[in-house]
Order: sequence, then C-alpha cells, then structure tokens
Amino acid sequence: MGDILRLQRATADNPLSNISAKAKAKSCILIWLDGGASHLDTFDPKPEAPSEVRGPFDSINTKLPGIRVSEHMPRTAKILDQLALIRSVTSPFGVHNFAIQYLMSGHKPTPALQYPVMGSVVAQLQSNQNVLPPNIAIPNLISRDSATIGNGFLPTMTKPFSLGSDPGKANYQVRDLDFYQGLDLTRLDRRRRIVNSMNTLGNLELQGKGPSDPDLERAYNILASEQAKAAFDLGQEPEYMRDHYTLDPRANVDDSNNIGQQCLLARRLVERGVPFVTVNNTGWDNHLDLATYANRHPGDPRSASHALVPGLDKALSALVVDLADRGMLDETLVLVMTDFGRTPKINSTGGRDHWPNCFSVAMLGGGVKSGQVIGSSDALGEFVKDRSITPGDLAATVYTLLGIDPAHELETPDGRPIRIAPQDSNVISELLA
Amino acid sequence: MIKSTYAGLVLGSLVLGLCNPGMSMDPPPQTSDQKSDPRSTESNHTIDFINDLIPMITKLGCNAGKCHGSAIGRGGFKLSLYGGSPKTDYDEIVRRHGGRRINLADPESSLIFIKPAEFIEHGGGAVIEDDQHSMLLLDWIEQGAKFIRQRELKHIEVHPARYVATKVGDTTSFKVLARYHDGSTRDVTNLTRFTADDSTAVRIDKGSATATLERTGRHIVIARYSTEVIPIELLVPTSQVAPDLSHETRKNFVDEEVLSSLSELRVPVSPILDDRAFMRRITLDLTGRLPAQSVETDQTAIDRETIIDDLLRSEAFVNFYTLKLARLLRIQSKQDKNLVTTTPQAARAFHDYLARQLRARVGYDQIAREILTATGDTSKYGPAAFFTAVEDPRLQTEFTTEVFMGSRMKCANCHNHPLDKWTQDDFHGLTAMFSKLTRSQVIRLNPIGKNIHPNTGEAALMKLPGGEFLPEDTRDGRSTFAAWLTDRDNPYFARAIVNRLWQSLMGRGLVEPLDDFRATNPPTHPALLDRLASDFIDHGYNIRHTLKRIAMSTTYSRSSNPIAGNETDGRFYSHRVATPLGPEVLADAISDVLGIPSRYGNEMPGTRAVDLKDGGVRSDALDILGRCDRSNSCEGAPSPIGPLAQKLHLFNGELLNNRIGAHSGRLDTLIKSQKLPIEIATEFYQVALNRHPNKNELKFFEHLFNPKESSARQRAVLEDFVWGLVTCREFTINH
Repeated sequence: MGDILRLQRATADNPLSNISAKAKAKSCILIWLDGGASHLDTFDPKPEAPSEVRGPFDSINTKLPGIRVSEHMPRTAKILDQLALIRSVTSPFGVHNFAIQYLMSGHKPTPALQYPVMGSVVAQLQSNQNVLPPNIAIPNLISRDSATIGNGFLPTMTKPFSLGSDPGKANYQVRDLDFYQGLDLTRLDRRRRIVNSMNTLGNLELQGKGPSDPDLERAYNILASEQAKAAFDLGQEPEYMRDHYTLDPRANVDDSNNIGQQCLLARRLVERGVPFVTVNNTGWDNHLDLATYANRHPGDPRSASHALVPGLDKALSALVVDLADRGMLDETLVLVMTDFGRTPKINSTGGRDHWPNCFSVAMLGGGVKSGQVIGSSDALGEFVKDRSITPGDLAATVYTLLGIDPAHELETPDGRPIRIAPQDSNVISELLA
Repeated sequence: MIKSTYAGLVLGSLVLGLCNPGMSMDPPPQTSDQKSDPRSTESNHTIDFINDLIPMITKLGCNAGKCHGSAIGRGGFKLSLYGGSPKTDYDEIVRRHGGRRINLADPESSLIFIKPAEFIEHGGGAVIEDDQHSMLLLDWIEQGAKFIRQRELKHIEVHPARYVATKVGDTTSFKVLARYHDGSTRDVTNLTRFTADDSTAVRIDKGSATATLERTGRHIVIARYSTEVIPIELLVPTSQVAPDLSHETRKNFVDEEVLSSLSELRVPVSPILDDRAFMRRITLDLTGRLPAQSVETDQTAIDRETIIDDLLRSEAFVNFYTLKLARLLRIQSKQDKNLVTTTPQAARAFHDYLARQLRARVGYDQIAREILTATGDTSKYGPAAFFTAVEDPRLQTEFTTEVFMGSRMKCANCHNHPLDKWTQDDFHGLTAMFSKLTRSQVIRLNPIGKNIHPNTGEAALMKLPGGEFLPEDTRDGRSTFAAWLTDRDNPYFARAIVNRLWQSLMGRGLVEPLDDFRATNPPTHPALLDRLASDFIDHGYNIRHTLKRIAMSTTYSRSSNPIAGNETDGRFYSHRVATPLGPEVLADAISDVLGIPSRYGNEMPGTRAVDLKDGGVRSDALDILGRCDRSNSCEGAPSPIGPLAQKLHLFNGELLNNRIGAHSGRLDTLIKSQKLPIEIATEFYQVALNRHPNKNELKFFEHLFNPKESSARQRAVLEDFVWGLVTCREFTINH
C-alpha cells in the first residue's frame, strides 16, 4: 500500500514525465456543439431503424468501409479515415449544466467541489510563457450556468478567456485591444504599477505570492504585444482561406454564429502557441424540428449557408486539411464533443429531446489513431452495445494525448489533492497511435 | 461468489431464516420508545414489497437514472426512479411480458434474479453480491411474488445523525431504524443506501455501513431508504488544539451558534473591525453606497447600533433592497420566444411597488401574498408582472418555488425528484394553478386553462407542494397556495428569505446555492437557520429586523483578514468572507469617486445604477462589470465576461477613461483648486476607502508625484493614480 502511494506521488510530482516523451499533441481544439447534438443525425445514423428513429435524413458511405454518417456530412465522410469516432459515450446527466460540467471536466458534478474544465487544467499545467491566454473560448465558454463551468478550484488565470465577440459575425472584433485615446503603453504600465503598490501597501492582507492582480498583469502583457493582438485578427487570413472554412462565404451570417470562422480563428490561436481553444458553437439544442439541422431557418434559403450539420461538415473537414497542410495535424488534437445525444425516438414536434445514455464523440490529429470507430450503440441508438466510454475516460485520454498524466494531482486552495481525471477513469488505449 | 454457492445459500435461508436483513442486525442503541421488538415483527418472514424489496432495488442502484430508472427504462425493463411508483414497478416486474421475469415454481431461475446475479449476461454486471440481498429476492418469489405492504413507513432515524470525530482516520458505523405507522420499528441498515457528498473525504464501506473520515472539515453523507432521505453530518476538527473561544463576545444567538460550530471544528476567530472599516462595510451592505464623508470618526467611538438603525431607516436602504428583490424577481422589460411580454412600464411599476412596500415596512409575507395572487394590468399594477417574467406555467412553478421556497422543483416536471421529496403531482399541481392565468399584459383568470399531467394525459389537479389536492372546481388556487406558503409553520418560506438576508450581509448563505434547499443539501448551521427563521416570523416577517439582528452580531463585525489557523475556512464565519462589490454598487461607487455620474439608457442624467427600475436598461458598463441577465436566476452567477476581458476594458475601455480627468469631475476640480498632488491623493483615499493613506502609501505617493514635472505630466500621473485607486482590491471588494 505504502509503495503504491509513493509511486503515485512520484508521478504526481511530475505530470509531464514519461508520457510527454511519447505525446505528440501540443494543443487542443475542442469543438463544442452546445445544447446536445443528435448522434443519430451526425456520426451515428441508423438507416435500418424505423422511421421515427431514423429521422428525416439519409445516411451516406464514408472512406471507412461499412461506416456511415449523416447525408449532410459528405466532406467529413471523405476524410473519415483521418478521424476516430467513439459511438458509445455514456453519461447519467440529461440536464445541460450537469452534462456540460461532466463532459468538459471529466468529473461528475458534486456540491462539494467545483471541478475545472479540461482547458483550465491544461492552462494550469502548461509551462510555456506565452502572452496569449492559455485557455481561450470562441466566442465565449458557455452561456448557461457559467457559475459552475470554468476554472473550478483553479486560479482565475486558467479561466477561459472569452472573446466576447463572435468571429462568425461580420462585425467581429475583440474588444478593448486598441489603446484608448490619449493612452500609451507607458501610462498603462504606470497604472499597473500603481495598482500593484496599492494592493501590497494597503490594509488588506493578500493571499498568495506573485503579482497582486495577476489578471491585470495578463491584460497588460497582451496589450503590450502587437503579435498577441494580431492573433485575434481574422482579417490577416487570406480571403481564400476564410472561404475554405465556410459553406457560403457571401451569405449573410450576421444572425448566426459561423462555425467555420470560429474554427479558423481556433487554428490561428493554436498556431501561435495557445494550448487549449474551445469553439463553442450554439444552436444544437433542438427539441422542436430537426429541419434546422440541415437549414438553420427552414424556409429561408440564405440560411442554408450556415446550417448546423453542413456547417460543421465544412468547418471540420477544412480544419483537418488546413492543419495537415501546415504540418500541424500531429501536434493538434481536435475533439468534437457535446452535452449529450438526443432521444432516438422523434418527439411529437419532429425534434429530439435530451439523451445522455449513448452518444458520439469524434477525435482527430495529435496522436490519435485515426480511421477507426470505437464502441457501438444498439440498433436504435438508445444504449451502448459495446465498449462503454465515460466522460472521465475521454478526459483521461485527452490528457494522455497532450502528454499529461491523468493521475496527476492538483491542489485545491484548502490543500486537498484532486486527480485531474477521476480515479475510476481509463485511458481509451486503442485511440493512442 | 454467488454463482458457485447460491443454491447452498437458498437452502441456508430456509434453514436459518435469514430472509430478513433486519434479523441479523443488532437493534440500534435507543429503543426505549419502541413498541415492539423488531425480531418479533419479523418472525413471520413475509417479504414486504414496499418496505423490503423496493428499498433493496434502490440500494443496489437498479432504479437509478442511468439504469432501469431512466425515462424509457433500460434493456426493455423500466422501473420508476428510486422506486417513486411501487405499483408500476410491481406490474413491470411481475406482470409484464406475461410474467416471464418471475418463475414461481423455480425462483432461482427467475429472470429478475439470474440477471442481476449475472448467471446470464446483464448489462449492469453482477449487482447482487450480498447473500442477504439475493435471499430476500428469492424468498419474495418463493412466497408468491406478492404486492404486500404490511405497514406504512412513518420515517427513518439514523444513528448517529451527526458525528464529531477527533481526527482524520476515525470511523463511525451507521444504524438506520425505520418507524412505521403501526408502531413497529426495525433495523433497515442493510436496505439503506449511503452516499458521501464528497467521496474523497468520506469513504463508505457498504457491507458494514461504516464511514471512514479522510479529510478535516464538515462532510455530508446521505442515507436513503424507501422514500426517505436523511443527511448525516460528519465533523473532523481542523486542528488538534482547541482555540479558547470562551471570551468571545456573544451579542445574540448568531454568535452562540457560529462560535459553537467553530469550537467543534477548533477554528480560531479573526479580530473585530475598527470603526472606520465597520462603517464602510455596513454602509455598503445596507445601502450599496460608500459611507458619506462627514464627521471625523477617529476621535470617539461610534455607536454601531445607531449607525445600523440610521442606515435601515434611509431611502438608500429602500433603493438597495428593492434592487435585490427586483433581481430575485427577475424584473426587466423583455419579450421572450413565446411572446410573453413585460413592458418597460410594467417593469417600473413592479419595481416601484417593491420600493413602496419596503418603505412602508410591509411584512415580507404580505408582499409574497400580494405578488402571488396578483391580477390586472401589469403596467399599472406591478406585482402582476410576476406572471410575465417567464414563458409558461411550468417555468412559473420553477421560478416561484426557487424564489419563495428556495427549492428547485424542476426535476419533478418529468419524474419524482430524485434528491428531494417533490413528486410530479406536486410540480404539476402547482403548475395547474398558474395555468389558470392569461400570460398577457393584463393578467386575468382563464377558466379553461389547464396543465396536462404527463403521466395521465389529463389536466392535472391543483395541489399544494407536499400537501393536499384542491377541490376540482377551484377557480384560482393561488390564494390557497399563498396562505399555505406564508403560514408560520411553513418550513420553506421564512428559511429561504433569511438565508438570502444572511448571505447579503455575510457573503455566503447558510444553504448554498441559495435556491437549492433540500434534505440532501443541508445548511452549514441548521440551528442558526431555524432560529433566524423563527425570529423573523416572530417579528412580523420584518426584513429590517433580521438584517439588524445579523449586523449587530460580533460575527458580522469580524475582520476579513484571516489569522493563523483559519485561513482555509470559507464556510464557518471565523472571518468575514470578502465579497466583490456587485456590478451596480461598483458602478455607483466609481461614479461617486470620480464625481461624474454614468448614463444608463435614456434614464435621467444622475440616475444611480442601484436605482434603475428596469433590469433591461442598456448599459455596456454594467455588462462589463458583470451584471446578471435576469432572464434566468441570478443566484451565484459570476461575471459572464471573465476577469481578463474585464481588465482589458478597464485599461482601454470607456468605463473609466472617459471620466477620470473629465471637466468638473472630482480630480479636475481638485487640480483647479490648486491642491498639491499628495493632498488630492489623500482626499481620494477618504472618499474611496474611508481612511487616510498609511505611512507606506504616503511614501509611495512622494515617490510617484514629482512637483518638478510639467503640469500636463503631473495631471497624467494623477489620472493614473485615480485609475489605480478604483481598480485596486481594497476598493472593489467589501471586506
């Protein structure tokens, strides 16, 4: 027993030892389909099922023999050999906030402690001294229940930096990066030093060491770096590249969030060393009518250009090609995840409701053994038939791919050690290339 | 293990009579009022479906949401969540599929046994591992698989219900005693499921029902038997040495309760604030403002009770607590996707109504009754807008119970609440009352309105939460609900509001989250919550009374600076929880320090953020400072924008930059009056922090302000100083 503990402690002290040598991924792009994307209408169609389960869409063949995906994902189908699909993810949580907490952190939510999301854990453990925030959310992390989804017990430094502006929209611009009139870097530097003096000389005792206001320090460092500011500027991408990611670049996308431009920005950021970027694409919580999966505003032809599933198809396939062209595919782990699946049986309004019992997740790049489907759902997509995978397993695998020991322990402010992936989680070994 | 020996065990059960789990247990320690010996009541060996079998199924987890308790069941076998509906469970087990799950002739080959014991493939694995459990199941089938309820459960008792350990590593064993309406009792420990809130702090051994405490602090273990859920509180002192708290002043019951829990946990307390710091804290807490700059408070000690009374009497108090209530009641102009509309006039009318009631010291019970029974034109009679805050009657039920009962009933929309007592009948019975209203700008009774109960497909009957159904011909059930809610014996109403009042002064609720009261989420100080609630009721549901009670305690006036031994305490009030100023308060404080108000939407210039009557008024400044979007509950919602984006805005945004040095602002005026920079800085300290700069700060200013520099440069440095002052920690939090 004592030996086991010592062993754990040894690995815990150095999370990047052993595994990091093998790990290829340096950064991670999490494409989050917010609201719960239907597994049956994306990565796990059931063409043989009765129509109330099969739904309104056909399925198509892919590069992988015998594996089919939704008819609205033709581009992804062609490169499916570069992905790994997991069709047997299962979670007990059918309400958004608990589901998101579980999927994003790998830990089941508990009232006793708020766990950090994976991006915050990576931010906490990363070693590079990049000026850019280590954990960025495009355009923001999550709109619902933001209280429980974020850095958890970790310092605010690791909280996802939300752009607050959507690169999918025409008026995209990250706020407050340009100097206010009459100000320059010298004055901002003085302001920063004044705050620090007041915080340290004043009558309140400060907790911890380092700068008295680390967030202010980070904001200053970004403003002081032209390169850092340029990372957010999509205008620096050539026109053809912006088109490449988007279904119809000439369409009016002001009323929507365009997943293509979100993914393109994510690529710019990981290219500049940001270890974790979350693309939070909203609109997937479809209870009413599945038609929006193919056409965001049914009846409005313009909106076909940024429909949910075709938009994802275009963005995901473009991202894979772009990363490969730049030689970044091996060092960039891409995840496509969501709150939960949708009820296999279509409801009375033609939509699907929440279904956490079985759903799909896609992974690619960064050391993922591609061209395989792991696990399966039953004939109706209701339950896991084979190889049950928990969100904890996913987290353990993501950490491993990023060269972080899933058994590594972080400390809460009151000194309690917490494993980054839960005790009962297992790395999905067949995913590791 | 079972696979090899089950036949022998079945035999054993016949010979030894081990069929009932209660049999092998010692009776719990206190059985003086026990009417009958559990052994004698068990002697007939009859398995009770409700009191034996269902609890066992719950204990084994078969009817949990992720297994057969899911909404559509699992593998073609569906049980009600945590056994909420025994009758349908019985039909599912015994009758469905032509009864193929039960084999009366050969119990051991019943599907209901060989699946969970995993003689044949079972998706959930081998869940029956305990011999007593397998024998209970087999005996029940042997006896004819009958729907028998021998007695009705009254409640369960857990021993110990609270346990104070001496050190990490201590263990305690639980005993659970069920009391029935027929007067009988028995030990149901082996049929009770124990779950630790924090599995890394408490390790539970299911077989022996023993908890091992692995971390210091206060921990909760939930015991679940049948429909009963009981929290067990486990305490492990944080230190081996007990601090001497006997000399600490106990001004009222608040101090008694808080110090008693600190003594048990052996946590020392921080000292009392000086008068100036107290003034800043209490003024911010009661009025949302910085203290006024008037009398020198250094010479003579202030009378804190007089200060508190004066603040509670002020109009600023009325405005600030109206804002708190308005946020709670989600008052804002809006139109949602169901086109349910709150007009700006209605939002104002509701806001004004609340201010009037607070000003007139109307009891909170009466305010609640008036809101809950309101009808009429929302733009004229504000409280009616309570029924346009959310889209539909079911959301109205969630909203109403969260606000007035501190209880989240949401889960009971689709199934009986798994962590609480709420049933679907409760949820849909309350919704039935709200369905009888038009959700238009004029709230009227709508006699044909109904709420379809998802289980029956018919209109749900009106019902009081956890109570009786209302007569079928009830036109408007709301007054009955309001009367029930504000009855002095109602266990939710007063506790929910005093918990909110406590949180607004102490920085943390006794129950957190504030709207999540349930047996499985007990308060940190149960007795204190009870005493605050009765004290509140005894004093006419008077909000000011309870605020004063809390503010007068020694506990309230402790410093936020921790001392050795209490640094990690965030829940037991050994020192003040420092809380960031709310967005409206911070915006006003900044305006007051800069001497230039901010503009909000089309409001009159000079309108304070705290006084805005409509949460929907546009304001980038408030959004950046983290204003809560009132379309959802504001409980615990932190700034959606995040600290980094906020700091970027402070540096480069308009919030501060367009006002710091502006014409006729405080800084501009002071510079024009020819004051020296150090005098200006000292005045700003007074206004912003209610204190003089200390020695080190003065030294820093001497270094910062250089009188030899050009006046333009001196002015720039002063601007930067003011910027730093309203950005520093001491200014932006209440401490």
